[in-house]
Amino acid sequence: MLEATDVTKVYDTRGVETRALDGVSLRVDAGEFTALAGPSGSGKTTLLNLFGALDAPTAGQLRLDDQQLDQLSSAQLARLRLQQLGFIFQAYNLIPVLSARENVEFVMELQGVPAAERRERALAVLHEVGLGEIADKRPLEMSGGQQQRVAVARAIVSNPRVVLADEPTANLDSKTAAALLDLMEEMNREHGVTFLFSTHDPMVIEKARRVVRLRDGRVVSDEQREAESA
Amino acid sequence: MRVLDFLHSTVVLLRLALLSTVALLKPSTWRLALRNVGRNGRRTAVVLTGVSVGLGGMMLAMAVNYGMIFQMVESAIRTELGHVQVHGPGWEEQPGIEVRLPSDRIPSDLEQRAPGLRAWAPRVRGEGLVYSPRASVGVRVVGIDPAREASVTVLADSMTQGVFLDGERRKVLVGERLADRLKVDVGAKVVLSAQDVSGEMTGEAFRIAGFFRTASRELDESAVFLRLDEARRLFGLGDEVSEVVLVAHAESGSGPLRDWLAAQAPQAEVRTWKEIRPFLVQIIDMFEQTGWVVYAAIFVAMAFGIANVLLMSVMERTREIGILSAIGMPADRLVAMVLAEALVVTLGGVALGAALGFGGTALLSDGIDLSTWGEGLESFGIPTRIVPVLPAHQLGIPIVIAIVTAVVASLWPAIRAVRTRPAEAVRHV
Ligand SMILES: Nc1ncnc2c1ncn2[C@@H]1O[C@H](COP(=O)(O)OP(=O)(O)O)[C@@H](O)[C@H]1O
Ligand SMILES: [Mg+2]
Repeated sequence: MLEATDVTKVYDTRGVETRALDGVSLRVDAGEFTALAGPSGSGKTTLLNLFGALDAPTAGQLRLDDQQLDQLSSAQLARLRLQQLGFIFQAYNLIPVLSARENVEFVMELQGVPAAERRERALAVLHEVGLGEIADKRPLEMSGGQQQRVAVARAIVSNPRVVLADEPTANLDSKTAAALLDLMEEMNREHGVTFLFSTHDPMVIEKARRVVRLRDGRVVSDEQREAESA
Repeated sequence: MRVLDFLHSTVVLLRLALLSTVALLKPSTWRLALRNVGRNGRRTAVVLTGVSVGLGGMMLAMAVNYGMIFQMVESAIRTELGHVQVHGPGWEEQPGIEVRLPSDRIPSDLEQRAPGLRAWAPRVRGEGLVYSPRASVGVRVVGIDPAREASVTVLADSMTQGVFLDGERRKVLVGERLADRLKVDVGAKVVLSAQDVSGEMTGEAFRIAGFFRTASRELDESAVFLRLDEARRLFGLGDEVSEVVLVAHAESGSGPLRDWLAAQAPQAEVRTWKEIRPFLVQIIDMFEQTGWVVYAAIFVAMAFGIANVLLMSVMERTREIGILSAIGMPADRLVAMVLAEALVVTLGGVALGAALGFGGTALLSDGIDLSTWGEGLESFGIPTRIVPVLPAHQLGIPIVIAIVTAVVASLWPAIRAVRTRPAEAVRHV
């Protein structure tokens, strides 16, 4: 479904070249719950950004299903992100002036979902992530863990093909981090949401069913695991 | 190739501008914009203050300038000039008692017939000398029909001592300044002498009925008014006049009135006040132009202020805008959001500024006293007390400029924001 073929990304900052990705090939299939592991600077964010059509590779190809990303215009890419991808970033994911419910609704509003349906689905998904009570709070009134849960709700609310999460637990304490991972895993298991998330936290890696390890911009291992919970 | 690239990016930009305008019509754009405006109170206050002070100040500057021009024109027109004057052929080149109009040509129901005419008055004008026991001064001798003159000019209301001309014979009016030079009081006897139409020197004794003081220093220094029939006798005229002065219901009626009169009396010289006093028109133009320089300066300062604040408000939110873009908000909606934010604060500032402008003008409706610089201004015919008047026909200009400024000033950061690759923007903390 999501596929990178021989992807290289070189950043050029005032003449200094950084080879963030060096010939990476990777395929992610529907239903996966996959961790992108590796030390800081290994290229995790870069790879997720390429998959998410937030940036373009220096060489190589990226596809989502049968769409080749380098052949789409920026407006088409925006639409692809809107309709087919979900994003969770490390922190400050939410629009500060909108409440939890409005943040979740915002994506559907951009998609043109009618107001009544929007509201219903937003409340339903917030309940699902355990935030039914604070649907009307704004991000600044929530804890970091709650904000990340809202981000999960926003990412999954319109049934994307895949949710890309860049170190979603990096700013959380270990207990909250574990709970967030459990929530993502539950969404994966019960609703079939595909997750590709990056992390360098062994506890988080532990929970993944497939672990792809990066080092210096290359894939160094790719291991499939048994589902830990049934 | 360069040209094609340029054309292409122009088309892309225009398309973005068009789509953004469409996105601007969506209520959700405004909801988000309003909340963003409310979120940074200090920044909003800065723009509100900048726009309202800029616009309010500009409106006041306009009102003072326009009030000054308006009063200058009104004062010149109502002191002596009228909107339109009719003379015999040759007056413009060589004015004098030799150039006259037969007065039987003036229909008695002229007010009904001439378009936009409010009132008219006949005058006889010549040159002469006035003698008091202590001095003699060269003067303009002006014969008037007192009742008609009072309906055309403010002379009758400008008396500072004595009375205006009435039925009594052998009376004259002089300006305060002329009275000073002649060293006479009201009631004193003076002799008026002149050369009549046949070239003979004539002279007659008059009593001073009163002193006047007008906005025209020249008039106050050198004019003597007397009854029309007595002026005719002095100059040896029959049933003739030197000029007919007309006032329309409004200044804008000057041109049409002139055209109508010129068609009725093809031989006569018919001119509007602008044609008679091109110097006054030049002064007005100068005032208007200086005004625009001042308005432009205020607006440049305001535009920089707005642009600066809007730019900051976008830069500060680079990451947030990156996230909006990452989750699929299209570029046109992002631009529309930033535009809407700019419009909200600008329109707020425009409303406040207009209130300031109207309020300030109302507060100053008693006039601003410039009499400390008085002498110099008066000799240019500039009134020393200026009542600001907001020029209704020009008010749209500063408002439109304020809004255009806001749009242009916010467009740049907005387009910059959507041009940033989301990956870059999201890294930004
Ligand atoms: N925009 C950028 N400009 C320059 N260098 C960058 C940029 N983004 C990432 N890098 C570099 O690319 C390498 C990979 O970075 P990144 O993908 O962020 O790694 P990770 O997410 O695994 O920490 C690092 O050396 C980083 O410094
Ligand atoms: Mg990273």
